[in-house]
Amino acid sequence: MSRRSNAAIPWLYLFPAAVILGTFSIAAAFQVLYYSCTRFNAFTPATFAGLSNYTRALASERFWSCLLNSVLYLAVTPAIIVVSLLAAIAIDAKLRGMAYLRIALFLPVVTPGIVASLAWRVLLDEDSGLINRSLGSLGVPAINWLTEHPFTLVSAMLVTLWKGFGFYMMIFLAGLAGVPASLREAAAIDGAGPFRTFTSVTLPALKPSIALVAVVSSISALKVFEEVFVTLRGVPTNQLTMVPLIYRVAFEEGEYGLASALGLLLFVVVLAFSLINLRMGRANA
Amino acid sequence: MRTRPGFHTLLLYTLGFALTLAAVGPALWLLVIAIQPAGSDMTTVSGALKPLLEGRATLENFGAAWTTGGLSTPLVNSLLVTTARAATNVLIAALAAYPLARMKFRGRNTVFVLILATMMIPEQVLMTPMFRTVVGLGMYDTLIAAVIPFSVSAFGIYLCRQAFAAVPEELCEAAELDGAGHWRTFIHVMLPLAAPTLSTLALFSFLGAWSELLWPLIVLEARDHQTLPVAVNALLGQFSTNLRAAYAAAVLTLLPVLIVLVICQRFLRTEMFAGAVKG
Repeated sequence: MSRRSNAAIPWLYLFPAAVILGTFSIAAAFQVLYYSCTRFNAFTPATFAGLSNYTRALASERFWSCLLNSVLYLAVTPAIIVVSLLAAIAIDAKLRGMAYLRIALFLPVVTPGIVASLAWRVLLDEDSGLINRSLGSLGVPAINWLTEHPFTLVSAMLVTLWKGFGFYMMIFLAGLAGVPASLREAAAIDGAGPFRTFTSVTLPALKPSIALVAVVSSISALKVFEEVFVTLRGVPTNQLTMVPLIYRVAFEEGEYGLASALGLLLFVVVLAFSLINLRMGRANA
Repeated sequence: MRTRPGFHTLLLYTLGFALTLAAVGPALWLLVIAIQPAGSDMTTVSGALKPLLEGRATLENFGAAWTTGGLSTPLVNSLLVTTARAATNVLIAALAAYPLARMKFRGRNTVFVLILATMMIPEQVLMTPMFRTVVGLGMYDTLIAAVIPFSVSAFGIYLCRQAFAAVPEELCEAAELDGAGHWRTFIHVMLPLAAPTLSTLALFSFLGAWSELLWPLIVLEARDHQTLPVAVNALLGQFSTNLRAAYAAAVLTLLPVLIVLVICQRFLRTEMFAGAVKG
């Protein structure tokens, strides 16, 4: 059988993936667009409703508070960059007795979100948690980590930072491996100390990695769910971020039309960050 | 100035220890809490360590989580869903990636761009229509619903395509000269040579599926159909009087990924992540 005898062959291989992605990604994208323009909930079938879901969303207080919370959540990105870079530096130093470091710092990455959120909920417990108890012994009054805005956001961001830095650390390690040793040696010969070598040779060379980590961690911060949903169990809706809000509207209130509109509004924000990512990718290439 | 190398080494050791404590501490503390006997002081480190040092650590919370919480079914469900998703993600992605990497046909680039474009839309945005589709197909509250919609990912197809494209053309030509068709080339040349990428994809799919809460929470309702993260989430409400049982359940959820992490630590190679930077 000759290789190009049958034009259908490539499509046979592509078929299963096409069915799945076609149904649950591509068709779903058109559906969410359609749903967002309908009055549609758990009890009544969809009827066209123009842009009323969007005006409803934009007029609601909880949309703006949750959007603001999602934007505030982006503050986790600089923290992630600093901690994961420090972690990469510690590993890259290849200290004696510290070979375990890579796997230990990767542990939070593989820890399921619900487990991570629970572990931090225990530590952040307002009465009995180690964190408030330790602060108390230093004379700092108890902080309402799990109930009072904006501490609630800080708590969820702590979990995101904890779960995320080990992953971004690997990206920085790859970046560090790409910095030519000759450059660092040249700096050392020129009399630069370790700090100076880092700031004037290593850090500039890591620019693409830093940009990548910034964009990827921002996008994932905008999509955060478990850290908010589990760690902040029981907070009022206006203390949530966008994805837990969408979950609540769609699956607790059954408002499919409104939830779809909220989802698309979130998508616009995420898309802006993805486009920055694409542009940077092209600049690097 | 290179007069104080000792200072920098000390600084790096301090950093390493601080990060280790921060990374391992919270999970370890959860374990310490989960094995506490009733009535112990869990508000200080010394208070919580005391019963353990006195040999009074207990597994009764695990027992409570296992029997009253009924964790055996969620554990089996999680294993089924996770294994199925790891297998389908590799299989379906490899099948789709093969023609994209190695065959010339009309529409190839369009298809590839379309696949990559799906990565731009976060699944969190598509939850509502995905849920309606699952209901429409009669899959609601079945394990199938936790598997099928995520049985392949655009990222997985992309990874496999890169791996297949890196296989030398001569090897495929040699197979062809030996009379192998597409299918045999795929099975006997492509899959074995792309094995490192395929196993990485299987590992990522396994870890992702094992940890996932949002989608199973949406499509699985009956207690008999829940996966472990969903069951732990349910326990949080149910065990509000004995939270330590919920913590024990969380430790049980963490245990398998810990084992996988230790076994698969050779996958933590920097090169795996280098592609991310080079694009």
